[in-house]
This record gives sequence, C-alpha cells and structure tokens, in this order.
Amino acid sequence: MKTSNSGQPGRLFHAWRAGLSMLAGLGILAAAPSAHAVPSFARQTGADCAACHVGAFGPQLTPYGIKFKLGGYTETDGKDGKVPLSAMLVGSYTQTKKNQADRPADNASVNKNLAFDEASLFLAGRLSEKIGAFIQATYDGVGRSTALDQMDIRAAHTFDLAGRETIVGLSLNNNPGVQDPFNTMPVWGFPYTASALAFGMGGAGTMINGGLEQRVTGLSAYTFWNNLLYAEIGTYRSLSPAMQSKFGLGRADDPGRLGGGTTYWRLAAFQDLKKQAFNVGVFGLNTSLQPDRNAPERNKFSDLGIDASYQFLGTRKHVGTVNTSYIRERQTRDAWLAAGEAAERKGRINEFKLNGSYHYDQTWGATIGRFLTTGTADATLYAPGNGDFSFAKGSPNSSGYLLQADWTPWGKETSWNAPWANLRLGAQYTMFTKFNGAKNDYDGNGRNAKDNNTLFLFAWTTF
Amino acid sequence: MISMQRARSLLFLSLVAATTTLSLEARASADVAKGGDVFAEECAECHSVREGKNKKGPSMFGVVGRKAATVPDASYSDALKGSGLTWTPDKLDAYLAAPKKFVPGGKMKYDGLAGAAERASLLAYLTTLR
Repeated sequence: MKTSNSGQPGRLFHAWRAGLSMLAGLGILAAAPSAHAVPSFARQTGADCAACHVGAFGPQLTPYGIKFKLGGYTETDGKDGKVPLSAMLVGSYTQTKKNQADRPADNASVNKNLAFDEASLFLAGRLSEKIGAFIQATYDGVGRSTALDQMDIRAAHTFDLAGRETIVGLSLNNNPGVQDPFNTMPVWGFPYTASALAFGMGGAGTMINGGLEQRVTGLSAYTFWNNLLYAEIGTYRSLSPAMQSKFGLGRADDPGRLGGGTTYWRLAAFQDLKKQAFNVGVFGLNTSLQPDRNAPERNKFSDLGIDASYQFLGTRKHVGTVNTSYIRERQTRDAWLAAGEAAERKGRINEFKLNGSYHYDQTWGATIGRFLTTGTADATLYAPGNGDFSFAKGSPNSSGYLLQADWTPWGKETSWNAPWANLRLGAQYTMFTKFNGAKNDYDGNGRNAKDNNTLFLFAWTTF
Repeated sequence: MISMQRARSLLFLSLVAATTTLSLEARASADVAKGGDVFAEECAECHSVREGKNKKGPSMFGVVGRKAATVPDASYSDALKGSGLTWTPDKLDAYLAAPKKFVPGGKMKYDGLAGAAERASLLAYLTTLR
C-alpha cells in the first residue's frame, strides 16, 4: 500500500511520475504504512504481543517494547531455534464522502473501493547475541509491485556505566525515524494504517514525514542511559536510481541525490514507572536534495521537531495513551526555483499531531487524533489545476480529525493459537476541516474539504 | 445448666471469632487480589503464571518454596544458578525489594518493589500459584 503514516495516496506517485518532482521535497514521497506487529518477536521472547504493543497489536510500543527495540531486537526466552520470520496481510474498504474526480489508482474506482492493500514478509528478530533486524518486503496490492519496505538492522551492547545500565548501539536503516523507539515520529505515529486510495492528511508534509523513506540508507549511533536518557545521531546517503530499481522501488520516483552533510539527531527523556510511562524529546533532520541529478541546484530542508507522550498502563486492563508532536521545516528551494517549480526561494511548513487512545482489556480500542499542517504560501509550488489535489491560494494548509475504533481479539498470552494468530479489525474516519489551502472550493471547481472525508475499514492480520 | 449470662458471653465470643475469621479470610483474599494486580503491573511482561510457560524470565508457577534457577528451559544468570537460594517467602521478599543487591550479577532487569505492603500482597498472590 503506497501510503505513509500521513496517508498520502498512491495517486500522488502518479502525479510525481508525471513530472511534479517538487513533491519530493514536500514530504509526500508516500510509501507503505507503518503497519507492524511482528509475531516472530513474540515467538523469540516468549512474551505476548500485548507486552510490547498497546492494544496487543503494533506498532504503538509499550515501555517493554521500547526497551526491546533499543536492545537490538535480541532478547529471547533463552531457547534456540527460533525462526525470525513473520508475514502480514492487509485488506480494506475505502469510501469518500464525494466521488473522486479521477480514479485513485489504475485498478480502482472513483469511490467505494475494496482493496487488497499489501502482503509483507518480515525478517524480524535476533540474528546473533548482539545483532537483530527488522526488514520488511512488501507486495503493494494497489500499485501491484513488490519492493523493499522498512529496514532497521541493529547492533546493541548493554553494560553498566557507574552502576547504571547503559545501551550503546548502531542502526542501519532506510528511513529517517524508522529506528526511533517512541510513538511520536511520523514513521510510527497514528494512524498506523491508512487508505492508499483517499486523501491522507492533505497534500503537503515535511521531509521527515516520509520524504525519503526507502530511498536512502543511513547509519546512526545511539545510547540509552539508565532507562532515562536517549540520544542518537546519524547520517544518510541516497540510493542510486539503479539501486532503487534493484530494491523494487523504481527509478521514476527517485527523489534525487541527497547532500553529503545530511544529519539526523534525536534526544529524549524517558521514564518507565511500570504503571505509567512518559517521554519528552526533540529531533531533527538537516539535509539537501538535488532533485535533478544532472543539474547542480539543491533544495535544503531543516526539520526540527518536539514530541511528548504519556501512557497509563496500570494492570493493562485499562490502557490510555496521549502522543503529540510538532515539526517545523525550513526550506530553501534553489532547485525548484531554477526549474520554475516554486515562486519563493524560502518557505516553511509545519506539522502538528495530537492523538489519544484508550484500550480495554487489550482488545477494544478507540483513538481520536487531530492533525494540522500549515506553511507559507507559494503559488507555484502549491498550484491549482491538479484535480482533487489542487491547492487553493498557494497554501499547503490542511487540518482535520481522525477517529478510529478497533477490535483485536488475540495477541494476549492465553489467546487462541498465540502468538501465531493476530488480527485487528478497524474502522477509521478522517474528517477534513481544511484541505490544501481552503475549507470550501479548494480546487476552484466546487470541491470542499469535507468532500474528502474518508471512511476506511480494514482487516489486518499477522502471523 | 448454662446461665443466660454465660450463654450470652459464649454467643458473643463465637460471633467475634466468626467475624474475625471472616475478616482475616477477606483480608487474605483482598491481599491475593491486590497481589494479582501488582503482578500484572510489575511482573507479567517478563513472567507467566502458567506452568511451563517461560518468557524472558521463568514461569512463576510454584515459585514459593522452589529452589532458585531450576525451572526447565528457563534462562538464568550464573550468579543465580550458583546462589544456592530457595525461594522462601522471606528470601523472595528480600529479592523483590532489591534484586540486584540481593543477587549481585543477576540478570533480572528490575529495580525492585519498594513498598513492603505491595510485596506482601505480591507474595500472597505468588503463594497461590500451585
């Protein structure tokens, strides 16, 4: 399924292929949803899915799951012979309030689409005492292609530093933020799955929100000290078009060449009080991108984010969470300006997300979320005349609410066929209060933001 | 023949005894229930209460009175294996209060349960796991 957590639809890919390369820099390089609940981890540790994931299904991590990830996916129940393989299937139904002007994918209708969204195979688990991996290959049922998806290969070492437990590690990954252990970065934030055949959360986003995913390779070093402080720094390189093609990603969506000084960093304070947990942090991505590999001009992106989350865990009968993040991106658009794809050399885009969830008995869940994207206007970059994805007044602004109810019957220690059988059935509704710059008539053709409201019913299983 | 006053006294004492017994039983039951909650909050991610089910830590089924580091297929530190401990209630209480201090070199990643009342409840619950 070619959507990111921001839910950017696959149609934008086709628009890209049509020549809208500037969208790369807007962070709408969509990719598969971060739909990860990996039973091979449960088989490896002997723990139930609910130990690591809020609501007994991924990807929202509990403190136990956070520590498992930082430990390099290597913890076990002491038994050998575990095979680190898992699989995932997602199917869905998407209905928008008003028919879309164009079919959102080659094999889709303008509305009321049933879809086999994706089938994924994971290599996920301990590879040696100090090395673990989370590597996903996905068949995209909407785009009908298979490609390397999320990847995070870790080496971690735990030792005592002045009597305090300390983890140091490395992460080799292909998406800035995929290595993050908390639940607030765009890669792992709510919604955890979204329709590939609708409107996501608007037509613009930051670079760290999926702008580079799977098209880069990065290495970062991290430390987690005293179960309290987390720090990470790393860098990324772009994959060559040939390598992107080998990984099944295709050359047509190549975002361009990444600058050599790309820096990803992260600082967070974390507190696990067993009955509750919280974290606060800051993160950043500084990079430049040469969208046309044959032209010298570059666009520069400087993303700075702050985030926080809280979990009430108690006896795990009633679990509540609150997650929030705010990302501010500064852009310098020399390449787009030279190509006539932007009118302003400097610009900003900001993303705010806030969501709260409640799960009863690790089975019944409800989540409500607020999203708000704002930025400086640019009449060329955010142009009209792109059908349902037109921008009004040169503005990237979109906002709305997300509601989700879900049922996760298994995933607990005593569940049927645990930990092999895992299922989540969910209903998600996206309500737009503004879309691509306006509440009403954003496309100049009478379409209102609320016409893009989307009902998304999904069935998501892992084994 | 028992006088009326003596009969009243016996009846009163019987009622007191019955009430006290019920109260102790209720309290014990409440302790066990509270201990179950403490286990869910503090222990259940790493330990199962089911016999033969090991997670990152060994099963807690039958832990009270068990020789340490003897659950089949469970993973233990050398320190615990060589400790010679038997998990009597007092040893468990001391261990749960400060695991790393009680068994230096042990690998249980838990800082300890500071509250004596919570530990007592937890022990009451663990005692029932048979």
